[in-house]
Amino acid sequence: MFEGLSLDQAPPLSVVMRFFLTLPTFGLFLSLLMIFAPHDVLTLSHPLSLASIHLLFLGVISMGMIGALFQMQSVLGGKPIPNPHGNSLIIHTLFTLGTLSLVCAFAFGISELFIIAGVFLGSAVVYFAQILLPLLFGTITHDTLKGMRLAVIAFALTATLGIVMATSYANGTFGDYHALIRTTHYSLGLIGWIAILIVHVAFQVVEMFYVTTPYSDWCKHNVGRILVGALVLKVLWLFLNLPFPWLTDMIAVSLLFGFVVTTMKRLQMRKRRVSDVSIWFWKGGVALLGLALMSYSGYLFSDYTPLETVSLIAFALFALSIILGMMGKIVPFLVWFHLSSSGFMDTPIMSNIIPQKRLKITFWLFSATAISALLAPFYANILILCGLTSTAMFALLLFNLITAKRLYHHTLEHGTKFTFQS
Amino acid sequence: MILEFMRDDHRACDHLYTEAENALADKKIDEAKTLFDAFYRATNHHFDMEERELFITFEKRTGMMGGPTQMMRYEHQQLRAQLESMLKALTEGKYDDFFGIGESFMIMLQQHNMKEEQMLYPMIDRALEGDAEIMIQTLKEMPL
Repeated sequence: MFEGLSLDQAPPLSVVMRFFLTLPTFGLFLSLLMIFAPHDVLTLSHPLSLASIHLLFLGVISMGMIGALFQMQSVLGGKPIPNPHGNSLIIHTLFTLGTLSLVCAFAFGISELFIIAGVFLGSAVVYFAQILLPLLFGTITHDTLKGMRLAVIAFALTATLGIVMATSYANGTFGDYHALIRTTHYSLGLIGWIAILIVHVAFQVVEMFYVTTPYSDWCKHNVGRILVGALVLKVLWLFLNLPFPWLTDMIAVSLLFGFVVTTMKRLQMRKRRVSDVSIWFWKGGVALLGLALMSYSGYLFSDYTPLETVSLIAFALFALSIILGMMGKIVPFLVWFHLSSSGFMDTPIMSNIIPQKRLKITFWLFSATAISALLAPFYANILILCGLTSTAMFALLLFNLITAKRLYHHTLEHGTKFTFQS
Repeated sequence: MILEFMRDDHRACDHLYTEAENALADKKIDEAKTLFDAFYRATNHHFDMEERELFITFEKRTGMMGGPTQMMRYEHQQLRAQLESMLKALTEGKYDDFFGIGESFMIMLQQHNMKEEQMLYPMIDRALEGDAEIMIQTLKEMPL
C-alpha cells in the first residue's frame, strides 16, 4: 500500500553544499558585470543584459532552488532523491557548465556555445525532472507537493523553450514565433518555476517555523491551479493574437498580491516573537514581490519601460531574499544535524555555525544591493554601487558557507564522540 | 480524523513552546520555566501517544514494522534528547544555550511534524478506516 515510502531525514551536507557554494560564485560574476558594464546590463536585449539575466536566474536563483529541493524533498516528498551524491553531482555539473556556456555565449557572441549550453542545461533540467517527478507523483499527495510538481514541470518546459531559443541564437536566424517563444519562456520561468515553488513552500514554512495562523485551505488548494491557468491563457492569448493580453497577466498579479498581503499579515502577527534574520529576509522578499507586482501593473497601463525593468529586478530580489533566508537556516541546521546524529559531543549549536551577526550583515548588504538595483533603471550609474555591495554580499555568503563547511569537517576529524563503556 | 486530531496537538505544543520562548526573551524567567515545563510534558505526551498506541496499531494493520514509524521513533529519541538539553540549559540559567538549542530543535521538530502531517497521519487514517474515532478516544484517555 505504501511501497517505497521512506521518512529519511536529511541529505548529506555535501549534496546541498555543492549547489549553495556555486551560487555566490555566479553572484560574484554578476557583480563584476554590473560594475564594469552598468549601461549594457540595463539595456534590454543587449547581450550583456541577457548574460546577466541568465547568471541571476540560472546561476544564482535556480542553483539555490535546486539545492534546497534536495533538502525539502526528503521532508515533504516522502521519498528522498535516490543516490543523492551521484545525482546531485551529475545535475550540478551539467547545470554549472550549461550556465557558464550560456553566459559566455551571450557575453562573447560565440554561437557554438549556445548549442553547448542548450545540451548541458537541457540535460541538467530534464535529468533533474525525471528523477524528481516520479517521486512527487507517488501515493502521498498534499498541496505543497502539488505545487512542487507544477514548478518542476514548468522548469522543464522553460528549459525546453530555452533550447529552442538557443538554436535560434546559434544560427542567427529568428523565426516568426521567436518573440512569442521568448515571452512564454520567461513567463514559465518566473511564474511557473519560481513563484509557484516559493508560494507553495511558504504554505509550509511560514506557518510551521514562525508559528502563524495557517493559510486558508482555499488558498493552498487553488493558487497553483489558478497560476497555471493564467499561464496557459497567456500563451493562448499570445499565439492567437487576441486583444487585451494584459487580462491574463492581471489574474496572476492579483493572486500573487493576495499572497503578499496574507503572508505579510501572518509574519507580522506571528506567535513566535523571537526575531531572527530569516524573518527579515522573508518580510523583505515578500515586500519586494509586492513591489514587482505593482511596478508591473504600472508598466501594463503606462507602457513606461523602466517600470518593467524595476518589476523584473524586484522579482529577482524577492526570490533571492527568500533563498538567502532559507540558506541561513538550512546550512547551519544540516551541519548541526549530521554532527549531532553522528554522536559528536562538541557539536556546535546553529548560531555558532553561522553567527547571527554575520547573517545580519548579509541582510544589510542585501538591502543596500536591493535599493541600488531598484534605482538603477532610472540612474544607470547606481548599478556600479549595486555591483560593489553585491560583491561584498556574495563574498560574505561564500565565506559563511566555507567556514560552516570547514567547521563540519574539523569536528568530524577532531571532535569527541559519545562512547558507551561496558 | 487522526490527521486533524494530531495536527491540532502539534499546534498546541508549538504554542506552548512559543509562549515559553517569548517569556524568556522578555526575561520573565519563572514564567518561562512554568511554560517550558508545560511544553515539555505536552511534547513527551504526544510522543507517547504515538509510540504506545498509534504506531503499534498502524504496524499491526499494515504489517509495516521497520518503515516510517521506525524512523519517527528514532526522531522522537533525538527530539527527547534535545528537550532534555533545553531543560538543563534553562535550569542552569544558560539562556543563550537555551535559545541556541531551541533553534535547531524547532527546525527538527517542524520537519518531523511536516512528515507526520503530510505522510504518516494520512496513511494511518487510511489504515484505521472506521476505527479512527475509537483510537482518538483512546489517545484522549492517555494520562498526561
